[in-house]
Amino acid sequence: MAAMSCSSEQLASLFGPNTTNAAAAADYICSQFTVVSDRFVDTAYAVDSTYLLFSAYLVFSMQLGFAMLCAGSVRAKNTMNIMLTNVLDAAAGGLFYYLFGFAFAFGAPSNGFIGRHFFGLKDVPTSSFDYSFFLYQWAFAIAAAGITSGSIAERTQFVAYLIYSSFLTGFVYPVVSHWFWSADGWASAANTGNLLFGSGVIDFAGSGVVHMVGGIAGLYGALIEGPRIGRFDHSGRAIALRGHSASLVVLGTFLLWFGWYGFNPGSFTKILSPYTSGNYYGQWSAVGRTAVTTTLAGCTAALTTLFGKRILSGHWNVTDVCNGLLGGFAAITAGCSVVEPWAAVICGFVAALVLIGCNRLAEKVKFDDPLEAAQLHGGCGAWGIIFTALFATEKYVNEVYPGKPGRPYGLFMGGGGRLLGAHIIQILVIIGWVSATMGPLFYGLHKLKLLRISEEDEMAGMDMTRHGGFAYVYEDDAHKHGIQMRRIEPSPNTAL
Amino acid sequence: MADPLSCSATDLLPLLGGAPNATAAATFICSRFSAVSSQLSAATYAIDNTYLLFSAYLVFAMQLGFAMLCAGSVRAKNTMNIMLTNVLDAAAGGLSYYLFGYAFAFGITSGSIAERTQFVAYLIYSSFLTGFVYPVVSHWFWSGDGWASAAKSDGDLLFGSGVIDFAGSGVVHMVGGIAGLWGAFIEGPRIGRFDRTGRSVALRGHSASLVVLGSFLLWFGWYGFNPGSFLTILKSYGTKGAYYGQWSAVGRTAVTTTLAGSTAALTTLFGKRFLAGHWNVIDVCNGLLGGFAAITSGCAVVEPWAAIICGFVAAWVLIGLNKLAEKLKYDDPLEAAQLHGGCGAWGVLFTGLFANKGYVNEVYPGRPDRPYGLFMGGGGRLLAAQMIQILVIIGWVTATMAPLFLALHKLKLLRVSSEDEMAGMDMTRHGGMAYIYHDEEENSNWSQFKMSRIEPRNTSTPDPTVHL
Repeated sequence: MAAMSCSSEQLASLFGPNTTNAAAAADYICSQFTVVSDRFVDTAYAVDSTYLLFSAYLVFSMQLGFAMLCAGSVRAKNTMNIMLTNVLDAAAGGLFYYLFGFAFAFGAPSNGFIGRHFFGLKDVPTSSFDYSFFLYQWAFAIAAAGITSGSIAERTQFVAYLIYSSFLTGFVYPVVSHWFWSADGWASAANTGNLLFGSGVIDFAGSGVVHMVGGIAGLYGALIEGPRIGRFDHSGRAIALRGHSASLVVLGTFLLWFGWYGFNPGSFTKILSPYTSGNYYGQWSAVGRTAVTTTLAGCTAALTTLFGKRILSGHWNVTDVCNGLLGGFAAITAGCSVVEPWAAVICGFVAALVLIGCNRLAEKVKFDDPLEAAQLHGGCGAWGIIFTALFATEKYVNEVYPGKPGRPYGLFMGGGGRLLGAHIIQILVIIGWVSATMGPLFYGLHKLKLLRISEEDEMAGMDMTRHGGFAYVYEDDAHKHGIQMRRIEPSPNTAL
Repeated sequence: MADPLSCSATDLLPLLGGAPNATAAATFICSRFSAVSSQLSAATYAIDNTYLLFSAYLVFAMQLGFAMLCAGSVRAKNTMNIMLTNVLDAAAGGLSYYLFGYAFAFGITSGSIAERTQFVAYLIYSSFLTGFVYPVVSHWFWSGDGWASAAKSDGDLLFGSGVIDFAGSGVVHMVGGIAGLWGAFIEGPRIGRFDRTGRSVALRGHSASLVVLGSFLLWFGWYGFNPGSFLTILKSYGTKGAYYGQWSAVGRTAVTTTLAGSTAALTTLFGKRFLAGHWNVIDVCNGLLGGFAAITSGCAVVEPWAAIICGFVAAWVLIGLNKLAEKLKYDDPLEAAQLHGGCGAWGVLFTGLFANKGYVNEVYPGRPDRPYGLFMGGGGRLLAAQMIQILVIIGWVTATMAPLFLALHKLKLLRVSSEDEMAGMDMTRHGGMAYIYHDEEENSNWSQFKMSRIEPRNTSTPDPTVHL
């Protein structure tokens, strides 16, 4: 892009010898150019901030979607509990990510492992980071914590929830996002020094950073606390513990779809960026293309799941289709900006099969995850990372991560195997880091009897025993026992 | 701010004079700059309008949120009634030329008098509130002519300061809350809310899912409400560097909003756990909203750490006012008067304490050395102005809405009959119940499953055993 820099000396020297006052003329003209340049700079900041802020609001709306999805997927007696976890997710995340999460993730300058500036947003805004960027990243951080809550729904003590959620949003997740998204991160594709395998990892909006982190954390939680009572009977056969509202599941899924348009395209963080000057094709096109790949992956996954489950289980199932849809989105999230739309169709197709397969495997090993979160986010997230390394195009990779021509790209697109190598590293490292942090945390909580609720509480439902009463009161009955919200006395049998 | 683009051929010509065809050169150059200037101007309008429109759509989503919150907070038998008031709220708001807040003050008030108010009373008070009471208040504090406005263009500012109520903790929340207070107070508590010994009985809402859904939608929409109140985003402040401008202030406002709500929610969670013994999602949602109502006044002019304090205190204000309400046997199904009135008032005071000098002068430019927050070293004049705002709003709303509610009450137009209240207004006035979970059986006596014409009768309540 041509710079808008006007040098008065240069211009003055170009004026002919008959010019009355070449210096003053040059100054006059150049000062006008300076004004123009400043105004354009302001315009770009305003446009990009608007774009990023509204993307952040969309990502925030995914909290709402996830709350509804969770509520609808659990039994009515646990509705208040799970919704409270979603509200707290956003609230506790707000505070902790502000205090130190953002600093660990994006503090600059810093080392490759963890950031160490911007605690409490000190020194923000800078020329690289404004408040809109913080808000956007906060919205992502709370998404990760929300995923994990799905795996351990219906049987986890609220205090355990508060502890793991703060730890995940405040430390585990920010460190991972530092590795792959900060310009200082050791594995980031935007690293200005050395790139991992000369490539770096391309996880554009976080199939690994967000979805795998949330999913693997959920895996450990659900594994350590064990399946819900009644999920597998004495002969080991799986019993479906159906959620109480398909309407909420669909509503939640649609809201997540809606919000994903902030999650994926928004990860560009800027929209006003031409790739070649004066052309109709610029970053705004890439943003739009990213929204398209997102859409296609989700749609294909949904359709594949529809027909797949019809074949496998004999009926058309809306909750399965919703989960398939979300699996498609989780998968495309890594490569949404660097693949062609037709490739997104392949991504979604395979994601649906991955989810169905992981669910079968879960059943076989008696793993119970009420939201299929570990399978969906962990499994489809990992597929998305591999997918990106296979299908990333040279052109898009160099547009999105400029400055290093000749860098690797998708294997199937002729870009060699180094991107795939980096992506395999990403998968291993995320599994390792989350296992090393969340595994012991959940295990510690379990040993301290702070993780799982008692059997009586689980049978009665946590809303009744710990949240003051049921979520739904359809009949007005002032005298029925148990409908009134009242003080719950701690009893010797029930833990905190 | 950057100098305006002003290329004058007559100014440029003498400097070029002597160059062959200097006149033409000067004209050529200046006309190009003129074209650039027009394009930049057009771009600015497009960007600012896009920003404002999308903020408005977000604010509209709050209507949906409030509808869900109200629906979930009342008993199933009154769901259709309250949701209709919310739909009309949005429709009436759409007819006016204000995009922001206009319809909200009404919505807030309808929460206080939910479950026992005649629909005709809603229509009357809402027209009066949104057509007169509220616009006058917003004129005082937001108009360039308003006597108490911080943006007053000529003449003196109130106490040399004016009132800083950026997005309306006072103008919107207090107005709605105080109006609701009078309505609920004059018509009295719902039947069964306080038993004969005076003990309070919780009349629980019918759906916690709707309450949470509604609260999240309100949170989402608040990102239009608070940052959107800047109205424009493309403005350079000329301080700190090219990257810092009104867009940064907009982002910062979204951050202060988030932190206040988050802190209020967390404080309420632990506060209620301590006071009531359990984790309560409904209370947390109300606490969250109280935090937002409070930060609304100062969101643009305080530091993010101050927003944490705002939310923390707002949570306790709400808990305290709820306790007080119970003691006084005041019944407000949505805690609207306590939340919007109480936390709104706290927010107005908070701004008088924590408004930051730099931000105040960016948001309200043109009067250097104006007062700012007391705790930030800005003196007491802003706080004094804020206190005036609180008193004046309470006074004005009381003087207008209290007599209206009293008159409606005297004319027996305010409260529904006790039979209607017990049966539920959906049944008696809205054609049937909101929820039908079981298909009708053939010989069912439950006639209310069919939506049908309600024949007016001599008594105020249709006979529920008649097959309609």
